Amino acid sequence: MYEDGWIPTVCYQCKAECSILAHVQNGIVQEVKGNPRARGKMCVKGMAGITSLYSKERLTHPMKRVGERGEGKFEQISWDEAMEIMETKLRALHEKGEGHKFTYSMFPHSASDPKWRFVNAYGGFISTGLPHCDSGKIMAHLHTFGCFPNHHIAPIYYSVPKDGLMILSGRHPFGCMDDACVAKDILDAKERGAKLIVIDPIFRPEAAKADWWIPIKPGGDASFFLGVCNYLLLNNLYNKEFCDKWVREGDMEKLLDFIVDKTPEKMSSICEVPAADIIKLAKMVAEAPSACIDAFKSIMYGNAMDWGQVWSIFLVITGNLDNPGGQPMPELTPMAPVNPVPTPPDLKELGYHRTGPNREKFDHYNFILEPTWYAAQAIKEGNLKIFFATECNPALSEMGAAAWREAVSMKDDDGNYMLDFFMVSEILPSETMKWADLVLPDQTNYERWELLYMPWWYNYSHGAALCRPVVKPVGEARHTNNVIIELGKHMFPEFFAFKDDVEYYDIELGGVGMSIDKLMENGGMWSPGTAGFYKYKDKKKFDTPSGKIELDWNMYADINQQWPSPELPLEYRKDEEKFPFILVNFRTIFLNNTGAWSHNNAQLRDPVSGLDSNPIMINPVDANKLGISEGDTVFLESATGKVSSIVQLTEKIKPGCIGIIHGFGQTVGQVATLCSSFNDNELIADAGSHLDEQDLRGGEAHVSTRVTIYK
Amino acid sequence: MKQLSIMVDMDRCIGCKTCVVACRNHHNLVNHRSHMPGEIPFYIKVESQAEGTFPHLKEDFWVSPCKHCKTAPCATACESGAIRKDAQTGIVLIDQDKCTGAKKCIEKCPYDVIQFNAEKNYAHKCNMCYDRVIHGQEPVCVEICLTDALSFGEKEILKMQAQAKGKEIIKKMSSQSIIYVKSAP
Repeated sequence: MYEDGWIPTVCYQCKAECSILAHVQNGIVQEVKGNPRARGKMCVKGMAGITSLYSKERLTHPMKRVGERGEGKFEQISWDEAMEIMETKLRALHEKGEGHKFTYSMFPHSASDPKWRFVNAYGGFISTGLPHCDSGKIMAHLHTFGCFPNHHIAPIYYSVPKDGLMILSGRHPFGCMDDACVAKDILDAKERGAKLIVIDPIFRPEAAKADWWIPIKPGGDASFFLGVCNYLLLNNLYNKEFCDKWVREGDMEKLLDFIVDKTPEKMSSICEVPAADIIKLAKMVAEAPSACIDAFKSIMYGNAMDWGQVWSIFLVITGNLDNPGGQPMPELTPMAPVNPVPTPPDLKELGYHRTGPNREKFDHYNFILEPTWYAAQAIKEGNLKIFFATECNPALSEMGAAAWREAVSMKDDDGNYMLDFFMVSEILPSETMKWADLVLPDQTNYERWELLYMPWWYNYSHGAALCRPVVKPVGEARHTNNVIIELGKHMFPEFFAFKDDVEYYDIELGGVGMSIDKLMENGGMWSPGTAGFYKYKDKKKFDTPSGKIELDWNMYADINQQWPSPELPLEYRKDEEKFPFILVNFRTIFLNNTGAWSHNNAQLRDPVSGLDSNPIMINPVDANKLGISEGDTVFLESATGKVSSIVQLTEKIKPGCIGIIHGFGQTVGQVATLCSSFNDNELIADAGSHLDEQDLRGGEAHVSTRVTIYK
Repeated sequence: MKQLSIMVDMDRCIGCKTCVVACRNHHNLVNHRSHMPGEIPFYIKVESQAEGTFPHLKEDFWVSPCKHCKTAPCATACESGAIRKDAQTGIVLIDQDKCTGAKKCIEKCPYDVIQFNAEKNYAHKCNMCYDRVIHGQEPVCVEICLTDALSFGEKEILKMQAQAKGKEIIKKMSSQSIIYVKSAP
């Protein structure tokens, strides 16, 4: 099964899951690089994956909790005992008819990830942090274009023509990639004459490479682009032919009514970008052969649904849809179903954020997955009883992480935990593990099978990649997919009648005339190589109810939110005196965020090849006013949390903002504990405790945070 | 003179450090099992320089490996004759078998690029992937560069390529085997 040589497989140091080649010698992975049959690049995180694979801190056997949750005390058990514990707990909840009180927090590697299949068969829900990042943009795709709800949907940078505009709005594609080739693709486009415009309150490597950096007030992008759209529409600089043909009848008139007072001057006062610059960009857009906007991720704002809608309006009135250099409209790879396919429960009816006393507030919430940010609230309300977590780290990654930790430790009057059972599967020690009842050792991407075809990121669904085991797993580590398939065979044999994960993927690959063997013989890839352009012209319609582009989101008319608000997120508009600074938390390429992998990866925490601390960044103008100097230890406090760290003065941040790097704060593991750091989520409010401030259209929860800083 | 060289296009380097880790993996510099942050040897490092005040800023990133000096101070300092400049490639090489662990080379290196293996008592550094380049391959850092900011070849040819692309050579940064280039402002 294992062989030496350069073996095609897939990286999993982050969710981009790039195709790579692993160099195996004498059964050891020596080095890795991008697979030239794919896009040929692999980043620093991916390169450091070997250090995770061979770390002495790898979890190697199942363990069960022996102390209280949070103490992190465990004893080794057998796989048989671990399987029995899980099955007993799951059966007990299911027999009570409360399957919907089971959630599995994970990142699905495909639309038919075997773990997701189990959860559907059981009647529970998967939950992810994904809605934190991209819900606004996903919902914009659904509402406006009727498009398959892709995750990040980056522009196809390799398709941007000469003179095309690449606009990054609060987005760091050099540090948080859709694929390791994205930075190269952007720079290649620049070399052929495309323009790079970066709209961002902080000056990162993207801004350093930009033709134009536009510092903006955080959360100001909705108003900024409304100003751009206002200028384009009122000066007849928009793509009238496209709009006449493809926009639902009456929507353009309603849009004009809505946008007529969103003038560049008025919007300038919200986003703090001069009106002349808003007009300048509008004129550049009008003259350019294409324009795309990459947004959402590195900086996340609380008005994401508003921004998502403005983003879709901009794309429509400039005609930049499914065109080279514009916004791609991905589809789902046509894999074959593994019948019978379990029917998932009704999220709208039974999802845990809808089962509490305030459920009627969320009747408009329309997202496709259960957001993790309501987990703490659901536990407190008795609506979440079994929690599985794989490849995720909610004790750090959850906004309002302190509330999450408190909730999983809460006991009822009888002294029983409110959350009845909590399983974590991981490859390296994680912060979350400390609260787990059961810890299962997972396999890395170098030890396991996985079929990846989700249209995440940069393949736009026109591709599948095979992750295959290239070396023997360490200790007793088992891939969690196989653990869950085994549970499925016991509990729901009708849905798990296939032999194993490999046979499951083989059946699926039949949908594109492929098999595991054929992929292995052909570079580990199925990739016809095109996302396709102007697909709506072939179909002669969009997949919305009207068959046209729907700019007016009339499903929100009863709450008077069918058009986007230009205002900053609510959180930025209150407590300004008490918390004068806006928190800008962002990511770097050297880290895998809150995932346990990089916290305990020595190369990613090494100062030469990674990052060993996250200082508090402040502009010297602000620091001088406060009497704060470089290297001072200060407190950073929000309405719900407080941390302490070292100050770094930098010109690279807009005055009025405080910058911190996301992805620190773990207290478990030898490498992690060496770092001087804190977790930014300590400052961010738990969503469940601020329900009155939620975007009732289903946008992001509280990532918009004001802070104060003092010595 | 024969001098294999690396050209760094500062219009393209984003300081991502991918080359640092790829180099370590290839040259077996990391003990994945036990190395802790801050103690892992490296043959290449990333540097950057930001200028200006908000909002008028610019920043450059570049990588800095051994420069394979024309008259290498490390070779001159080495009393055991373990360091030589290879006539065919211009690469400065350390012979680990001859190295006595005197560390004179480390003291004299103006670029602070020489590493020391205390366990086995020898100095080591970037050899421009000598075992690859003599068989027609590029150094690993060049092959895997995330943004294709690095290119490899004979120094005079790299200079011609830079000129053809309209790039200026940053003379005050460039040295024997490393050429830093950038578009004219």
